[in-house]
Amino acid sequence: MERKQSALSRFLFLYLPLTLILLFLLFPFYWTFVTSIKPEQELYGRVVTYWPRSVTFSAYKSLFLDYNFLHPMGNSFLVALITTLLTLFVSSLASYSFSRFRFRGRKAFMILFLTNNMFPTVLLLIPLYAIMRNLGILYTPLALVLSYTTFTIPFSVWLLNGYLSDLPMSLEEAGMVDGANRAQAFTRIILPVLVPCLIATGVYIFMTSWNEYTFAVMFTNERSRTIPVSLKNLIGQLGVQWDLLTAGGIITIIPVCVLFFFAQKRLVEGLTAGAVKG
Amino acid sequence: MKRILVFAVISVLCLLMVTGCKKKDDESSTIGNVTDKPINITHWFWADNPDYSAKMQQIATDFNNSNNMNIKVSAQEYPWEGGGYSETLFTAAMGGGGPDTAAWKLTSTPLFKANNLLAVLDSYIDKWDDKDDIESNLYEVMKTAGGSDSIYVMPWNTQILYVYYRPSMFKDANVAVPTTYEEFLEACRKLTRDTTGDGKTDVYGFGMRGSTGGQEPWGSFIYGRGGDLSDFTTTQAVAGMQDFINLFKKGYVPPTAPTDGFNEIIANFKSGRTAMTIHHIGSSSGMVESLGDDVDAFPFPAGEKQWTSMGDTENVIFEKCDNKDAAFQWVAYLATGKGQEEWCKTTGNVPVSKRVQALPEFQENKFMKVSIKGAPYAGIFPILDTTTEWISTIWPNTTAAALAGNKTAAQAMQELQKGLYGS
Repeated sequence: MERKQSALSRFLFLYLPLTLILLFLLFPFYWTFVTSIKPEQELYGRVVTYWPRSVTFSAYKSLFLDYNFLHPMGNSFLVALITTLLTLFVSSLASYSFSRFRFRGRKAFMILFLTNNMFPTVLLLIPLYAIMRNLGILYTPLALVLSYTTFTIPFSVWLLNGYLSDLPMSLEEAGMVDGANRAQAFTRIILPVLVPCLIATGVYIFMTSWNEYTFAVMFTNERSRTIPVSLKNLIGQLGVQWDLLTAGGIITIIPVCVLFFFAQKRLVEGLTAGAVKG
Repeated sequence: MKRILVFAVISVLCLLMVTGCKKKDDESSTIGNVTDKPINITHWFWADNPDYSAKMQQIATDFNNSNNMNIKVSAQEYPWEGGGYSETLFTAAMGGGGPDTAAWKLTSTPLFKANNLLAVLDSYIDKWDDKDDIESNLYEVMKTAGGSDSIYVMPWNTQILYVYYRPSMFKDANVAVPTTYEEFLEACRKLTRDTTGDGKTDVYGFGMRGSTGGQEPWGSFIYGRGGDLSDFTTTQAVAGMQDFINLFKKGYVPPTAPTDGFNEIIANFKSGRTAMTIHHIGSSSGMVESLGDDVDAFPFPAGEKQWTSMGDTENVIFEKCDNKDAAFQWVAYLATGKGQEEWCKTTGNVPVSKRVQALPEFQENKFMKVSIKGAPYAGIFPILDTTTEWISTIWPNTTAAALAGNKTAAQAMQELQKGLYGS
């Protein structure tokens, strides 16, 4: 009797809410996918169908063959990858300095880094546009990389700094006693320990760059377009290309899912690292 | 160590400043008037679907291959983004960049003009051989949008409102296609019928749009009684509003009219609930798909005055463009040249070029033909700082109150006047 009650309460208070939340979270993805495989007459028909009467992948075919979606995908990948690598490189060194050295203006710099993220991006659009234009890098992937790193580096420095501050200094000191210099101590001792946190930060940076729209629409042209702008082009003044838009949406989330799949374990470790101060 | 660090920082800063001062206009590089080098023109546009986008690219390529000034147009598509396109354009222009020419909406003209971003086109249009190929009324509309006697905007294509009607219902009710405003009001009455004999009206004469966007067909009623959009408080304008209210009060429009928007008026017309409604050519293919031959159109008939609302898409040349002559060649190609023909054929929009309008392909389309007929008296609402709020909130709310009988026609018009003009 007690076991039955326990099973019922587990169902009512655990599995049922969990299922409802999952439905709420996953339904948009399901609907996006279903829309992308519906034939046109069913898509724009009066009767709403929750699973297509006949499945078609013509939207995906059209997306790659007619719409040349590979081009913005390549651009997005390039920008996201370079932004991630550059941000991780700069912020790991910067956060190491902030956590290990006490120098004049250290706190001021840390606060300055935070203020950068307090400004709405729209406010910086015109100045950044003018700077990119004067630097001669407007409409190149470099313009996006620079503008993205402006925001990702400060955030990453703070994230990594929290983790590094938790690592005992005795780790490098032991290495340095054994003859390693500061650079060797960083690359051979600190960096391997930092990997989970670097992965977590890297995934965040990659996703931010992959999905960013506001800067992308300003700093790119037909040649350097990234995915969010290309997809937005499918929403016109008088109509929306739902089939292409949803197919593009599904394709867009695949790399992020793959990234999560491989980085999941490290990601959880990285996100929780530095959270508890000892 | 410290010295080296300071030296390195100063060196990097100097390098950045030097690079920063070196201006590179790669987005719109224009190369003087040397004819052996290409004159590059960057054109921004939005497209409703990938087919339209591909068509614009093809038009640009055709122009590049056919012009004898060695002008090379690079067409760059930007998202419409619910009107955010204009904001992107503004940000780029204020940042010192942006295109040489761009597809345009008239509503953006005051903002760009106030910031001296647009080139004045009067001198180019005056010298242009095809000037008279465009209806003179359109130039007036362009001037109104800029709020001055100068033209900043080059016409490209339009969507002109007209009346859709069901010929079968006209036949059943023994009503002829109205040719005057009075006949139109009478047709609304006669077409409102109880066809099933249950004592309830099941077909309404007119599909009135009382929700946002309804101000466009409403404007035709104001002109029908001799009023206009410059002063809503005149006796004539109030009489037009009274006609509008009467249609609702007498039950010649569906009872849901105060809240009916685009989707409702189209659905009501397609389902046979209404015998007439007002919209532009954009909905014609859907109408034909649903009703076959049992749908036709006529221009909103003339009363004391005649007016219909016009949706617009134009092109502009930016003031910073170094080769405005070349840029004008391009926008002229889009307005009256092959570009006009190709674009309107693909999009189904109404051409502004009389030559293109006269082509069999456009003349054989009954909806296109009616649209073209409306061009000489088509117009837009005044573009003021208050217009957006007036359209989205003030007009629907005030009209709904007037239809519900909570306001008289005169009171409603007073309120509309205050909302748009402030007094």
